Amino acid sequence: MPLETESRAQIRALVSEFRPNHGDLLAALHRVQHEYGYISREAMEVVAEQLHLFAAQVYGAVSYYEEFRFEPPAAVDIRWCSGPACRGRNGGGIRDAILATLGVEMDGQTEDGRVGVRLGQCIGTCELAPQVWIEERATHTNEIIGDLNAAKAVKIARALRDGASAAEVLRG
Amino acid sequence: MASPLERYEVLRAEADAVYAAWRTPERPRIDVAIDTSSLANGARETRAAIAALVEQRNDAVDLGQTHGYGMQWCHPLVTVTFTDGASMVYGPVTADQAGLIVDIATGRAPAVSALAIGMLVGERPGIPSLRDHPFFALEPRERRVAKRIGLIDPENIQHAIATGAYHAAARMLDRHQTPEQVRQELIGSALGGRGGGNFPAGTKWNFLATAPGDEHYVICNADEGDPGAWVNRVIMEGDPHLLLEGLLIAAAATGSKGGFIYIRDEYPLAIARMEQAVRDAEAAGFLGDGLMGTALDLELRVIRGAGAYVCGEETGLINSIQDSRGMPRVKPPFPAGSGVFWKPSNVNNVETYANAPLVVEHGSDWYIQYGTERMRGTRLFSFSGDIQRVGFMEIPFGVPLAGVIEACGGMLPGLELKAIQSGGPLGSMLPASEVPNLTMENAPFAALDALMGGGGIVFFSNRVCTIHMAEMFAQFVEEESCGRCTTCHGGNQRQTEIFRRTIAGDGRREDRHNLALVDRTLQFSNCVHGQFSPKIVRNTLRFFSEEYDRHASGRTCDALECEGLIRFRITNQDDPLLAEAQDICPVAAITGTPGNRALNEATCIRCGACTDVAPNAIVREAKPAAPRVLALS
Repeated sequence: MPLETESRAQIRALVSEFRPNHGDLLAALHRVQHEYGYISREAMEVVAEQLHLFAAQVYGAVSYYEEFRFEPPAAVDIRWCSGPACRGRNGGGIRDAILATLGVEMDGQTEDGRVGVRLGQCIGTCELAPQVWIEERATHTNEIIGDLNAAKAVKIARALRDGASAAEVLRG
Repeated sequence: MASPLERYEVLRAEADAVYAAWRTPERPRIDVAIDTSSLANGARETRAAIAALVEQRNDAVDLGQTHGYGMQWCHPLVTVTFTDGASMVYGPVTADQAGLIVDIATGRAPAVSALAIGMLVGERPGIPSLRDHPFFALEPRERRVAKRIGLIDPENIQHAIATGAYHAAARMLDRHQTPEQVRQELIGSALGGRGGGNFPAGTKWNFLATAPGDEHYVICNADEGDPGAWVNRVIMEGDPHLLLEGLLIAAAATGSKGGFIYIRDEYPLAIARMEQAVRDAEAAGFLGDGLMGTALDLELRVIRGAGAYVCGEETGLINSIQDSRGMPRVKPPFPAGSGVFWKPSNVNNVETYANAPLVVEHGSDWYIQYGTERMRGTRLFSFSGDIQRVGFMEIPFGVPLAGVIEACGGMLPGLELKAIQSGGPLGSMLPASEVPNLTMENAPFAALDALMGGGGIVFFSNRVCTIHMAEMFAQFVEEESCGRCTTCHGGNQRQTEIFRRTIAGDGRREDRHNLALVDRTLQFSNCVHGQFSPKIVRNTLRFFSEEYDRHASGRTCDALECEGLIRFRITNQDDPLLAEAQDICPVAAITGTPGNRALNEATCIRCGACTDVAPNAIVREAKPAAPRVLALS
């Protein structure tokens, strides 16, 4: 029995209910990411052992899916809706305004790790187009701000960058 | 030993009592619609405000929940049910209108109010039936697949049972129909795959039923990834037990003991409701080992996706379930031969399974009363874009698209319809001039080299640039390509590059020819993702070719969207809002002092924030054509 680090033991306990050849990989990865905010190399190794897979197979899956991250997320993510109804109402301008305000690329985050911008897929709340979601990790906030324009998007991005909480931004 | 039907009747009697008490309550009840769209519109705040008021005033009012009815532009939606059983729908009810709603429920305010939309159940003078709302003009008088949506608490299995859920399945399990008869009934109904392909579900089930071995799986594709389509979400959030009953019938009809419901990660509420529905159905005996006292077992599991559009392709979805990257397989073998865990499987869309209980309950003759020769029945559609009324409705196949636009209230004031986008990024884009030729079924779309698709239709107005939209979809399919076929990932990269260059102002005349070349190359891809990815481009080349010419040769974007062909210019130095515009610009492109401000075109990113705050001081306009120097080469 090899000696095991504490963090490895923790991850093992977290995924102990998952079984090989049972279609459990996505569920195990979701569990890890929910707990840690991202999926570390160590976690991929533990999940691989648990599910009798090669670590490379787990890495292959993690890198394949948009939702899984290798790095810790920002404290707050602005999730920009890329859907057609939003794009028909200057969604592209809103994206560019947010990215320029924060000085980041899509799927990047500010240097201090406070605010990130991520690509969002349409969830069918198009009556509110154009929109962004505000996702705050500490409070598990996931709220939509709709009927946006580029100017409002700049204000939201600046407020978050300058330390406002998701709740403060949502209140307007 | 009680038979399945006897067991069902016991459950039904209990459920009837619970639902009757909910339908005709002893105290008035306020139900706030809780679904993804309602939550986005602030339903949680509305519910909290109502709850706080009721508690503070100690009112004799109960609180509950439903799902929205389709009218998403009226969200948050609130239903007040009075002690005589009449239910009235109000919307949009924001948190600051909580007082009015509580007053209406307690009788302190008249039921007729500016927020009243219509009667869901019963009658009240001065308030029309919700069914008479013009948005529902095309719906059958009685909804079918959406019959429970908005009329029950979706998290209450007894509400579903009392309104007929699991009756068709119980009768089938009671040997009123053999599996063969059920599959035959399904073939008779001509129920087609609702994902867009319209492949007969009964035939597909036959493939699985006659496949070798006894380890068969039914798989529900709930990876509804087409932007602008959310009809599967509505079923899962509004009537999860309808889907479960459909899967139960499918499993019994195909000899399957296991099943998966693969839901996209973007639908957390649908995932939660389906997981709870599975637990409740197991507790009631509709799922699990020896279900309903028969020798049948069925274990259904909800799988949460992780953001990969191509997992909506059935073999990609199967791979995603079984511990790997969700890359589509090479077909054949088809899933009925080798599916999940390499065992025979059947993959259908949510709405396809959800229709099965209707066919089994009412028979195929009833089912085909609606629809056309080629496409039977009704289907859910979601409509969005620059229309007055955004939402979902259930309409028979074959109704005219012009009627749909009318039901949606037409375009927003001042805007004209330019294009109809259907079928998602692998679908189509057709011009407004084709509206008279289009009815809501596959054939008229196919005749135009287009695809009606999985239920999402987006209406674009004349403020949208075709090139811009083509770039958006091209980029989508490029990013979502699984990467297996060079034709697909490479072809879609080239396609996207051409559009990006055109948007930057460097469109070339040969682009149209090159796009057609890329199209032909993409046809050699393994799966529909690659094969269908140039479809929108092909549509736009055919129907909007003038716009390509105007971008490439004329250097003009009429919708004023393409960054390289437009500019922003200060037109009024005296406007006090210019100071705000200067402040809001994210790249500090506006400099100078009052009365003497300048907008640096080279820095400007054309996001439009300045015109948002100072619409009368700054103009978005076509960039004057630069003098073109003839190259000597």
